[in-house]
Amino acid sequence: MTTDFSTEALDPVTVEVTRHRLEGIANEMQATLLRSSFSPIVKEGLDASAGLFTADGQTLAQSCSIPIHLATLIPALKRIIETFPPATMAPDDTYVLNDPYCGGTHLPDIAVVQPVFAPGADQGGRIIAFAAAMTHHQDMGGLSAGSVPTNATEIFQEGLRIPPLKFRDRGVVNATLEAMIRQNVRIPDTVMGDIHAQVSACSIGARRLAELAGKQGDNALTAIFAELLDRSERMTRLALSKIPDGTYRAVDWLDNDGVELEKPIRIEVAVTIRGDSIHLDFTGSSPQVRGPLNCVPSGSLAGACYAVRALTDPRIPTNGGCFRPISLHLPEGTIVNPREPAPVNARTSTIKRITGTIIRALAEVMPDRVPAPSAGQMVIVAFGGRTPEGRPFVTGDLIAGGSGAARGSDGVDVIETDASNCMNLPAEAAEMETPIRLNRVALRPDSGGDGEYRGGLGTIREYEALMDELSFTHRGERHYSAAQGLFGGGPGAMSRSVIHRADGRVEEIPSKIVTRLNKGDRVVIETAGGGGYGNPAERSAAARAADRADGKVSPSASG
Amino acid sequence: MNDQPPEAGRGIEFGIDIGGTFTDVVCRRADGSIRLAKVPTSRADPSRAVLAALGTARAEWDVATAAITRFAHGTTVATNAVLERKGARIGLITTEGFRDVLEIGRQMRHQMYDLVLHTETPVFLAPGHLRREVRERVDAAGRVLVPLDEASVRAAVRALLDQEVQAIAVCLLFSFLAPAHEQRIAAIIEEMRRGLPVSLSSEVDPAFREYERTCATAFDAYVKPLVADYLANLEAGLARAGVGAPLQVMQSRGGLMSSAVARRRPVRLFLSGPAGGVVGGLDVGLAAGYRDLITIDVGGTSCDIALVSDGRPLIRAEGLIDGFTVRVPMVDVTAIGSGGGSLAWIDAAGSLRVGPESAGSEPGPACYGRGGTRATVTDASVVLGYIDPASFAGGTMRLDPALAEGAVRREVADRLGMDLARAALGIHRVLNAQMAEAIRLVSIGRGIDPRGYALLPLGGAGPLHGCALAEELGISTIIVPPHPGVLAAAGLLGAAVEHEVAAAFPHPCAGLDPALIRPALDALDARCRDLMRDEGLREADVEVGHAADLCYIGQSYWLEVPLRLDAADPVGEAYAAFLAAHDRVYGHAPPLPAKFVNLRSVHRSRTGRAAIGAGHDPGAAAPPTTRPVQVRQNPGPVPAAIWQRGAIRAGDRIPGPAIIEQVDTTTLVEPGWTASLGKGGALIIARDGTP
Repeated sequence: MTTDFSTEALDPVTVEVTRHRLEGIANEMQATLLRSSFSPIVKEGLDASAGLFTADGQTLAQSCSIPIHLATLIPALKRIIETFPPATMAPDDTYVLNDPYCGGTHLPDIAVVQPVFAPGADQGGRIIAFAAAMTHHQDMGGLSAGSVPTNATEIFQEGLRIPPLKFRDRGVVNATLEAMIRQNVRIPDTVMGDIHAQVSACSIGARRLAELAGKQGDNALTAIFAELLDRSERMTRLALSKIPDGTYRAVDWLDNDGVELEKPIRIEVAVTIRGDSIHLDFTGSSPQVRGPLNCVPSGSLAGACYAVRALTDPRIPTNGGCFRPISLHLPEGTIVNPREPAPVNARTSTIKRITGTIIRALAEVMPDRVPAPSAGQMVIVAFGGRTPEGRPFVTGDLIAGGSGAARGSDGVDVIETDASNCMNLPAEAAEMETPIRLNRVALRPDSGGDGEYRGGLGTIREYEALMDELSFTHRGERHYSAAQGLFGGGPGAMSRSVIHRADGRVEEIPSKIVTRLNKGDRVVIETAGGGGYGNPAERSAAARAADRADGKVSPSASG
Repeated sequence: MNDQPPEAGRGIEFGIDIGGTFTDVVCRRADGSIRLAKVPTSRADPSRAVLAALGTARAEWDVATAAITRFAHGTTVATNAVLERKGARIGLITTEGFRDVLEIGRQMRHQMYDLVLHTETPVFLAPGHLRREVRERVDAAGRVLVPLDEASVRAAVRALLDQEVQAIAVCLLFSFLAPAHEQRIAAIIEEMRRGLPVSLSSEVDPAFREYERTCATAFDAYVKPLVADYLANLEAGLARAGVGAPLQVMQSRGGLMSSAVARRRPVRLFLSGPAGGVVGGLDVGLAAGYRDLITIDVGGTSCDIALVSDGRPLIRAEGLIDGFTVRVPMVDVTAIGSGGGSLAWIDAAGSLRVGPESAGSEPGPACYGRGGTRATVTDASVVLGYIDPASFAGGTMRLDPALAEGAVRREVADRLGMDLARAALGIHRVLNAQMAEAIRLVSIGRGIDPRGYALLPLGGAGPLHGCALAEELGISTIIVPPHPGVLAAAGLLGAAVEHEVAAAFPHPCAGLDPALIRPALDALDARCRDLMRDEGLREADVEVGHAADLCYIGQSYWLEVPLRLDAADPVGEAYAAFLAAHDRVYGHAPPLPAKFVNLRSVHRSRTGRAAIGAGHDPGAAAPPTTRPVQVRQNPGPVPAAIWQRGAIRAGDRIPGPAIIEQVDTTTLVEPGWTASLGKGGALIIARDGTP
């Protein structure tokens, strides 16, 4: 580059040192959040994030453990600032919301926001930033424990809706609001504990940032904020401008909405690269659905931000500047922009498919960077009932499929991809805590799409009920549409889940089901494989021999 | 260093730490005096460096090898076997239905934004064709559901032997509760191929969660033949050289064990080197009167951060080796990709960035004159006047300041339109910001406020950054060890011989009868006692400690707490300790039901004495010289006092700006800080105005 940086007013060293401090503060907020939360979903699923935002709501630094949280706090910030004019805010005020139709994502995700004042606030210091945290709470009331009912048909069944409200006024908790929340959730102590962990995270963020403003001067600091956003925008635009101009399209499918089981859901996106900007148009996607797979706009934004982050230079510091070149068209009344009161709790599946489809659209112009589609599924199974000792239990497992193959490498077997990143349940943990036994945990042979590079394999997991009268929920994907191959590669195998009843009956699960299991019933879940890449005829004999020797392809399979 | 009278008596102790580039040697005589050396590591056969070091000791220090009574060793042999994929060809035997657990893992990925993924599990240890199932099943209460089908075992072992495996790992479900099936398989293998190394999961890592246990067991088998050969070579070499003392090896959790035991538990050697560094740091800190320490070892390509709390290194239950989880206790060391060789670069928007790319040791920083043209942190240190090009590494290597200046000017100063000094200071400021944030995150993540800790910088590059890091972190004391460059070897001499044995003990706290715990602990103690006896230690010299891992019911990660069976209410005390630990680490501790997960017995014997007060020949009390340096507190160059470490006397006060030079490191005392000699020979740098 030929830019003469000597004319810049801001010292590039101070700018870079400040960036590390901001990211350090976001990390400290996140560490506080994870440290002080109680629910296992936060501690072990890392389903929480925290960050700092400019006074006008742009992301300065965000620490998130799973991409689904990227950018999802932006609509929450916007809504809080609209509802409560910053001029009316005071130090240690804290705001909350969870309603997806008021800037939230789905009801279990509560956003907590606190303004950050320059030192000397009592003498009229100004708001220089916001600290915010989002946590997936274990329960928000509603139809079923955990507040993610697969059979919900309107948001009112999904739990307590919290519009933008003030949770603390100058540090004093709003007792009315707290009582209201406590009364509406199944595990009030845990939920309030986790909300207070969010408040602690925001307080730490606000305190640290105020210290920094005290050291560097608040005007100098906000000038650096602006500069950091501009720099990331500049670098993102530079990276986008290297992608050939044009409109690139892709279509993929979700199985059904859990309520109307015969109706597949279409996700269609046209990605337009023009110069240094990217526009995503979801025209052609399915109308909104009756079941809970609807996804409010923040979900599509998270998918788009993930795609931009993954496709451009990974060394670009992530902040709101990276998101400026993105624009979205989300037709109202569709799966990607539903009208109130459509249910939305299962939108993770939708975000995963949106993210995969955006990436897929760019495969033809970025053949070195973009792999074949992945299974892009996270099967959610949940078991509930009583242990032999009579203790009630609920347990769940999250199961991945295979990733797509890429130029130069086979897909990875059984791996989390795109917007989510969760761990599976160890067989020994399941059996020690609950009357569920795993009889098999295996790679699923022949499930990877064929190709010069083979798609990753799905997995086979067999669960056996050791007690009668267990409730069982299965939320699958890829039962009716495969992860397609790329550049001549074959599709991955589709998912298949079957219940083998103790009396010998066999029931196929239509992607999603809520049912009961009795002692001796077995559930066999086979997840999908990733798509293959390139002409199968080009696959090396050595790779095929290794696949057979290692059991990834059975001897009887063709090829 | 070689003007000491010849040593005639016995009682000479040797500590040798073999790193990737250098082998560090510390030799202590009976009178406590210390000799140090650094020799290049011979990559092909690291044990050659050990023998070379003995040669040095004989020739230059006049040490009779027969007089050596202790030989303690830190080694990277296990880690290198993994990094270079040079371990054994192993077979893995599992319960029917679970052959693929090793390959599937936990399905999480570490690089969230990479589109093209790479496997997250150590499949290379035993790909599908080397994994076999046997028919058997034990349930979660340890009861046999399906008896072991010995015909299936023989078929599996036969198939693996036909594939010429060099070791076999066995991991069956719930073997940590009922190890009989695994033990029977080991017997059958022994019967079919006498002497073939076998690793059983019920011995390597007897705890629940099958993927983690399988990994630890497979890693153990993978490095076992190589570690055995290495130790045998080394012992043979020592014997030839006339060393009669037994060979002791440092374990990942910071205790020594005999080579005979190390051969049986090689998976415990992965952090052998860093553990020596942490123990060395602990010894120096304790001698200087500090029990809470943050050690930061700044090397060429990375820096390692570790915490010592109340005089004990923090231990974690599992760690990462080459990115793979290995669940064995190890010192809690966190590595980040910043070091003296980190490259400075300007990104597309004109920001100054440092690392994670590094110039490594080849070509190294520009000033090494080995063809490197890009600017590194070390080049910036030369430009700023911190490092004297003529006396780098005790004068063994001449640096070219013109090359350093050229690189910093060309790569940074000109592009940013800054003068040379500001550019070089900028490189330091950015690196320091990265390291400070990493230290902050490591300490906060463990519930520790760094401001109450002393900073202990190590490695050749650490002491240049101590003041800047301490200032950023609000730390008021810095302890520079006498020899920060060879601290891992010094730590070997101070470490205790230690053996730890754990077993699963899944019982809820509520209603747990302490009488149940006693026999379980007795069994663990018996195993530890056998190990200590193998070390040749008398029971009277052994300190016995017990601990339990507890977690809330429903959680799958546990915390270790002390267990005292002679207490009035041992279970209640353990539960209270668990709540306190949970509060410290996680910030809260609701009084919810918890359970015991594992019991642990630790037997240790502090045979070593800390190798401190070490080895600076009191050189001539030459007055310090001065040279101009650039510091961030001043716009222009300032004259700094240049001290030789050996010339510093008790009572000397060295206010910043000052540079203290010694063979293995350079210390920068910034304005606002004052250095003086502390107890045990360490240099204490205190913030001005603090008591």
